[in-house]
Amino acid sequence: MLKFDDVSFAYPGAAQPALAGVSLTLQPGRYKVLLGANGSGKSTLASLANGLLLPSSGHVEVDGMDSGAADTLHKLRSAVGLVAQDPDDQLVSTLVLDEVAFGPENLGLPPAEIAKRVETALRSVRLQGLERRDPNTLSGGQKQRLVLAAILAMQPRYLVLDEPTAMLDAEACAEFTALIAEQRHQGSGILHITHDLHFATDADELLVLAAGRLVYAGEPAALLADAEALGRWGLAVAEVAEGDIAAAAPAAAPLPPQPRPPSRPAAAPLPPQPRPSPALRLDNLSYYYPSVTAAPDYVIKGLSLVVKAGSYTLITGSSGVGKSTLLRLAAGLLKPSAGSVSIADGTSQAPTAVVPGAVGLVFQSPEDQLFAATVAEDIAFGPRNLGLLAVSGKKARGRGRRRKTADNDPVDPRLPTPLSEAELVAEALQQVGLDARAFMERSPFTLSGGEMRRLAIAGVLAMRPRFLLLDEPTAGLDAQGRAFIHRLIAAELRQGVAVVVVSHDLLEFGGRADQHLQLVAGRLRPLEEGRPWQL
Amino acid sequence: MAAVMPFGNYIDADTPLHRLDTRLKLLLLVGYVTGLFLVDHWLGLALFCALLLAAYLTARVPLAFALRGLVPLAVILVFVLLANGFSFSLDPLALPSAQSGVSLIGSFGLLPLGLLRGCFLVVRIVALFSAASLLTYTSSLVQLSDALVSLLRPLAVLRLPTEDIAMMFSIALRFIPLTASEAERIMVAQQARGAVFDRGGPLRRARAWLPVLVPLFVKLFRRADRLAAAMEARCYAGKGRTHLRAQTLRASRVLLALLSAAALVVLGVWL
Repeated sequence: MLKFDDVSFAYPGAAQPALAGVSLTLQPGRYKVLLGANGSGKSTLASLANGLLLPSSGHVEVDGMDSGAADTLHKLRSAVGLVAQDPDDQLVSTLVLDEVAFGPENLGLPPAEIAKRVETALRSVRLQGLERRDPNTLSGGQKQRLVLAAILAMQPRYLVLDEPTAMLDAEACAEFTALIAEQRHQGSGILHITHDLHFATDADELLVLAAGRLVYAGEPAALLADAEALGRWGLAVAEVAEGDIAAAAPAAAPLPPQPRPPSRPAAAPLPPQPRPSPALRLDNLSYYYPSVTAAPDYVIKGLSLVVKAGSYTLITGSSGVGKSTLLRLAAGLLKPSAGSVSIADGTSQAPTAVVPGAVGLVFQSPEDQLFAATVAEDIAFGPRNLGLLAVSGKKARGRGRRRKTADNDPVDPRLPTPLSEAELVAEALQQVGLDARAFMERSPFTLSGGEMRRLAIAGVLAMRPRFLLLDEPTAGLDAQGRAFIHRLIAAELRQGVAVVVVSHDLLEFGGRADQHLQLVAGRLRPLEEGRPWQL
Repeated sequence: MAAVMPFGNYIDADTPLHRLDTRLKLLLLVGYVTGLFLVDHWLGLALFCALLLAAYLTARVPLAFALRGLVPLAVILVFVLLANGFSFSLDPLALPSAQSGVSLIGSFGLLPLGLLRGCFLVVRIVALFSAASLLTYTSSLVQLSDALVSLLRPLAVLRLPTEDIAMMFSIALRFIPLTASEAERIMVAQQARGAVFDRGGPLRRARAWLPVLVPLFVKLFRRADRLAAAMEARCYAGKGRTHLRAQTLRASRVLLALLSAAALVVLGVWL
């Protein structure tokens, strides 16, 4: 039995303990799901279960071994297998075979025994035959299955899974979940840590962590029916109840109280637009990797798309299908092999080719691109590069060449006059719901994960894009974070900004957009009629 | 999706040379190179070239591919040829004519003998480079690092942490392509925010890389932290490990390789 007995843990220097008085048990063959919002102490709990961290008070015990006892530490760690979110943070070898052998080798097992375990483990995650491959060449789903195989080769009795499917697409996620179910039936005790309610229904018991305390332990059904409790612990957000993020936005029509409205309330009329509205046009676009020997390797082939002002487009597709390439092409960051990407401003003038910066692109995990010493400077980076700021000195001059036409363009309604840097930063922060005075002078690296994501998005919004492309914007966010993204998109749409979301998560975005498209074999086609997101 | 950066130039095939233990290949290479340097006339050089050609044919490495690999050497080869074949000497005694050279402009002249010597050196350099390349064509990076580590292992007697060094090799090999694609991702993200990397003077260019390098290092440090935790969770302690792919060498093979290497050296001395 894996047992937490009144466990508390505080990181050195932290004001609040990360975990306080947590008691729980996990028996072999049981499947427990631990839910909690970002920052509730979930990952700390995982590290404690495996002896990576030792409790400040209380005890963690695995089959009678205390995690504080040095002599049984290796036995304890091999009994509790830990799978974390990102496979690239866990793989150490350049050969699949070596990766699975790593754990058993550390245990000092004889080579014959290691070989047997490696074979069994690879077969149980269905990666047999890939022993000689470099893990770098595997897909995300295969990599995470490799991580699991590497853990299984140590023959653990308990598995602690810390958001193991967060980076996987729907298909890979289903595969991984099936493997977990198999392990459970073979008698492993499984603690699945997640903020995704979808896993909760299968659990023998549901545990909820909120601000370091275990606030619920019991039947899944009882909790899932309690919307009020789910909201209180940040596990679900009733979208209606949320205040508006952009204060200036007109009052939205009240939504029906369903968790997933079948369609966006597109009825909310856009503000009257006296001027012709611009459109982003992708015409007969192709992109391929040239190959000397074989036929060119097409990623995008003859793709066309028109994105009109104020419209909401969703593009789905499984991983590796070329969604990122499409976004880079659309933002002018990659030169198409054939075809064109242009902005037609709605007048008779010829459309202008898209240059980098003309289209706002928020990459997946945009918090990875923060770099400046202060929040304000990071936000100002884009606008400064584009020359959007009011000229306060000689320094700013000459940098705005690329957007000169846009700057002087009388048709552009979003750029009345150049703003000062402070104004622009404050406005961008307000758009993402962060208090300008509290955040402007802070270092981006002192923010929480959710705040960093907001800041990174603010850095793109500050460039005043008329087209906003978002790549997997809700990946890794808990219920509140995801709700924030949806509010942000709604606010941008009301401003007449065109939004394109690229995501494999149909459960999250299905039914919200004006057009739902699927990227298949280098082309976009309407998502088939089954409406797969309506389960 | 950024393609994984090509790294190393291993050509996957199943030939006797591919199957040969990498450590023995290293040994043969050392023998070959030593012999090659001892050879001092054309007949010997031709023999060594023939041996190399036979090895290339055995390993089924396309010769056109191997020749393309020589392109970066071109500058050095041309320089060797010119430096040996021509002479600038103001010393009247060392005039080209004194060495049966042909004076072109004053003291600058062509030395036919020197040119011949230059050709000899060029062939020798090409053979040397091609022999070393053959090792990388027929051994994967994993095999190369395994071989290096295994040759280092005796140094454990000197309390060198060979186990940790082996681990570092492996992790470095794994993370080079990963880091490259991460850097590319951040770079594109900053370009989307209007960053320009290839304009302005050297100082401005260096500054332009700051928005890429800072997040890259932040990410690397964070990854290093998590990776260390994951390794610890899998009971890595840097000692007390066993090895699945413990390379066992058959004595007969080692002996054969040793003799062959020695023969190459002797051949070099004799020719």
